[in-house]
Amino acid sequence: MPETPASIRIAAAGCVTPFGNASATHAALLRGECALHALPVRGREGGDAVPLALLPGRDLDETAPPSWMAAVGALVEGLPSGDWGTPSRPVFVTGSNFGVGGLYALRRTGDPAFGVWGAPPTCTEELRRALGWGPNVSILSLACVSAHLGLLEATRLIHAGLAEEALVLSFDFLSPFVTGGFHALKILNSGFPAPYREGATGAIGLGDGAAYAVLSRDRGDWRLEGQSVFNEMHHFTSNRADGSGFSKCLDSVAGSTRGRKVWFKGHGTGTLDAGRMELDAAAKAFPEAPVVGWKGSLGHTLGSCGLVEMAVAIESIRTGSAPGTIGAGGAAMGPGVALAHFPTGPFDGVVCASNAFGGAHACLLLSHA
Amino acid sequence: MPDPLLARLKQLIVETLHLEDIAPSDIPDDEPLVGGGLSLDSIDALELVVRLEKEFGIKISSSEEAKSALSSVGALASFIRQRADPSRIGA
Repeated sequence: MPETPASIRIAAAGCVTPFGNASATHAALLRGECALHALPVRGREGGDAVPLALLPGRDLDETAPPSWMAAVGALVEGLPSGDWGTPSRPVFVTGSNFGVGGLYALRRTGDPAFGVWGAPPTCTEELRRALGWGPNVSILSLACVSAHLGLLEATRLIHAGLAEEALVLSFDFLSPFVTGGFHALKILNSGFPAPYREGATGAIGLGDGAAYAVLSRDRGDWRLEGQSVFNEMHHFTSNRADGSGFSKCLDSVAGSTRGRKVWFKGHGTGTLDAGRMELDAAAKAFPEAPVVGWKGSLGHTLGSCGLVEMAVAIESIRTGSAPGTIGAGGAAMGPGVALAHFPTGPFDGVVCASNAFGGAHACLLLSHA
Repeated sequence: MPDPLLARLKQLIVETLHLEDIAPSDIPDDEPLVGGGLSLDSIDALELVVRLEKEFGIKISSSEEAKSALSSVGALASFIRQRADPSRIGA
């Protein structure tokens, strides 16, 4: 595993979910609200009702241009002004699906307007032009750890002296292609997600989400340390049964937490095996850390989840209160799962973790600088 | 008397997963299908589930349900008998 880069500062961060911006999302999670609703898996074509969380006013079905463009535009309006997309201030655009629903819409309708949105390079180019960025825009995609990968690469670039600051944007908006795919894999069904809850069956929900972070070597109120991305290279859709993949990633950040008290923001989609393995690994690496997962409310925002949930973690530290695990009521998989919200004051920071298809794992330590 | 549903399922498994070196009669009734001697993985299981749903008109809604149904050919036959319309199972 490559050496973990030195710490980096977060000069600005934000997110948008069905609840609104980071502050509104954090407040909704504190109230225990759920953004997920039972909606037809194939949008206007119907199908089984599955738990989805869409931005207000947005339909699942694709449009050209995509209905989520306005939300991304509004999100980055809050960015510190700067010449983004230049060599000294590059942009990393990360996500799992980009506008892939456009390919399905193109095939269904034959309308070429969908085509440009269907592939990451052309989708990102449309976004770059719409947002007025320069040409230094890189695309990174590693399934549900895409955002972490963007943060890590931006950090390395800054520490190598190749950029003054960097913007990482991460987004994943649902479409019938994406929801249909997860439904076909039998992991998105009528059940609502209950992260870290013991049971006979697991279920996930999917949600819209986008977030950004501006990274800087020495400017900003928040610090990232111990960033790690690791791929256990075991199988496309399953992890090593001994959970060693989860542990290998968390062990790399455990060094940064030595002597410090942390809480743990887990990936926790609601699947059973991965939930158990993640909890076991977290308990070994951070024995005293309360564990929370928010996908029981927000749904899994796929490639953007690492950055969306990091933005909520920032709000948690800023306001002094971390939302508990939503949807897990009942018997939790382990004693470390925090079902209720708790004060973040006694803690030095939070370890934020994400996991992905293909056995990819990622984590970071977030603290107030 | 041999169970015709078991024989049909074994044939379906070999065909669906293109198991070239395995004859249907080689598949034991009670051996795990995934993680057993056939070396099937979760992708194979998914492919099998999709075929079974089409063949018998049943619905397997979660990965856990699939795992339980595919715990052996015998278990799969019981699962199908419980879920499928008898007319889809045949004699």
